[in-house]
Amino acid sequence: MTCTVSASGLSLHYGGTRALDDVSLRLSAGVTGLLGPNGAGKTTLLRVLATAVPADRGSFTVLGHDPGTSHGRREVRRRLGYLPQTPGFHPDFTAFEFVDYVAILKELTDRAARHREVRRVLDEVGLTEVRGKHIRMLSGGMRQRVALAAALVGDPAFLVLDEPTVGLDPEQRMRFRELIAHAGEGRTVLLSTHQTEDVAMLCHRVVVLAGGTVRFDGTPAELTARAAGRVWSSTERDPGAKAGWRTGLGTFRNVGDPPAGADLLEPTLEDGYLLTLDGTDAEVAA
Amino acid sequence: MTGGTTGGAGMTGGTTGGAGMTDGTTGGAGMTGGTTGGASGGGTGWHVPEEDLRAYARGGLTAPALWSADTHLAACAHCRGVLADVGDPVALDAGWERLDAELDAPRPGFLEALLLRCGMADHTARLLAATPALRRSWVGAVAAVLLLTVAVTAGHTAGGSPTLFLALAPLLPLAGVALSYGPALDPTYEMAVVAPVHGFRLLMIRTVAVLAVGIGFNGLATLALPGYGLRALGWLLPALALTATGLALAARLGPVLGPSLVGVGWIALLVTAEAARTGAEDPLAPFTAAGQGVSALVAVLAAGLLVLLRDRFDSGRANTA
Repeated sequence: MTCTVSASGLSLHYGGTRALDDVSLRLSAGVTGLLGPNGAGKTTLLRVLATAVPADRGSFTVLGHDPGTSHGRREVRRRLGYLPQTPGFHPDFTAFEFVDYVAILKELTDRAARHREVRRVLDEVGLTEVRGKHIRMLSGGMRQRVALAAALVGDPAFLVLDEPTVGLDPEQRMRFRELIAHAGEGRTVLLSTHQTEDVAMLCHRVVVLAGGTVRFDGTPAELTARAAGRVWSSTERDPGAKAGWRTGLGTFRNVGDPPAGADLLEPTLEDGYLLTLDGTDAEVAA
Repeated sequence: MTGGTTGGAGMTGGTTGGAGMTDGTTGGAGMTGGTTGGASGGGTGWHVPEEDLRAYARGGLTAPALWSADTHLAACAHCRGVLADVGDPVALDAGWERLDAELDAPRPGFLEALLLRCGMADHTARLLAATPALRRSWVGAVAAVLLLTVAVTAGHTAGGSPTLFLALAPLLPLAGVALSYGPALDPTYEMAVVAPVHGFRLLMIRTVAVLAVGIGFNGLATLALPGYGLRALGWLLPALALTATGLALAARLGPVLGPSLVGVGWIALLVTAEAARTGAEDPLAPFTAAGQGVSALVAVLAAGLLVLLRDRFDSGRANTA
């Protein structure tokens, strides 16, 4: 499969904090999920790959273009769609005006062609009917769709989405997942998320990041398989478990190294994810 | 309607004329000259002349006649029928698409409309409309501060010096430029910084606009202090020097710390100059001829440094500094 993004040894420090530490990965067409607890470095990695901030060390290319040079950076940005974690909006703009503004930033200066593109992306995210409404009047889910429409302007080959489903209710989340799945057809999407459900439903591949380093890189099925034989049920929380929580049935679901004779359960992606993190990370994630 | 001969002129006020004409209130007689609508419209209702429809179908109709035809065609089935007969289907589809797009296009706000009226390209006007420091709240605050300062300064004339005004006026453009970009103040900064438009170009577009507004306000305030003559213009070169230095430092220190240091440095300089002043009537050192020369030199040097550091605004380094 053709590699769209190739990163090698990316490192970045903020003050004394190590946000990224020698991260290497290759991304190809389809949706790749980026999982990790708070502070794992997910947003930092996305911002580096989106060229919002340069790495201290390491390099990466997008479709062969190196953002380390001025020319390469512009070429990468021409092929990039980016939805930040908290997309900002100019409150006085309508949905159409905001996406139009982003289209101008993406060098679409011809008015007729630009407006055609704005209408296309607003239609793609299902916002044609509210395109004339001020963004401040739109719901949180609609605002996220406006931001996604802005990211889709220019039909980018590489789409970076930073936790786009956070704060959305279940129905909006499902709607957004459909949009991401559609956006992932024929392009490379890197989706940062806290939700293992997002990964299970959307991604052909998953990368787990913790402490600024890559802990896992493979398919969701491979991540799930990591928990095979390591998930069990008990009536009390097992102190030997890496993580454990009470389920709706009143019993505890434990992940870790099961005691002899434990009542083993079918593993899920979330179990595999928790086991991939070390003890401290697992506590945070659990 | 080449050159508006079909009644672009007759459609006074122009752009909405087409709609008015559909109810026949103006009629062909109002369309002075040649290719009036009466010939093809029949009855009292005006219709777009066939010649214009042919030009429309070819894409050769120009504004304002084009606007009238667009508006009228949206409401008149008869003219749409004639257009379908005379037009090339491909060109016709393009025309409908254009009409659809025009009806869909947002109406620009006050600032954007003003910039468009001044001849600015629509994409540049939209970029400026998104500049935080050009928003009404900021412009209003600047105007209020200046009015207050002018009022206080004017109350202390009688041979005095406009020191308060001269001290404050250079800080306003500096603050405006500092507030026109950066993650803390521009809600779309993150999207803008990863866009292919060069960050330095975006910064310069906004800086020039904010400087123009700031200097314009200061200029008006200067006119309100005629008693001080040319001395009241002593803020101009320091304003350029502070703004250029603030931006140059922002490239290394970030959009908040850089301009803030420059602002504090300016105030410290004035306090020092005040302490060193010998006569009560003498101007402070920055507002003497020598001081103005130094300001001009600093402005040029800082502008040069800014150009040298321009790539930092594009790479995201100015943000992380």
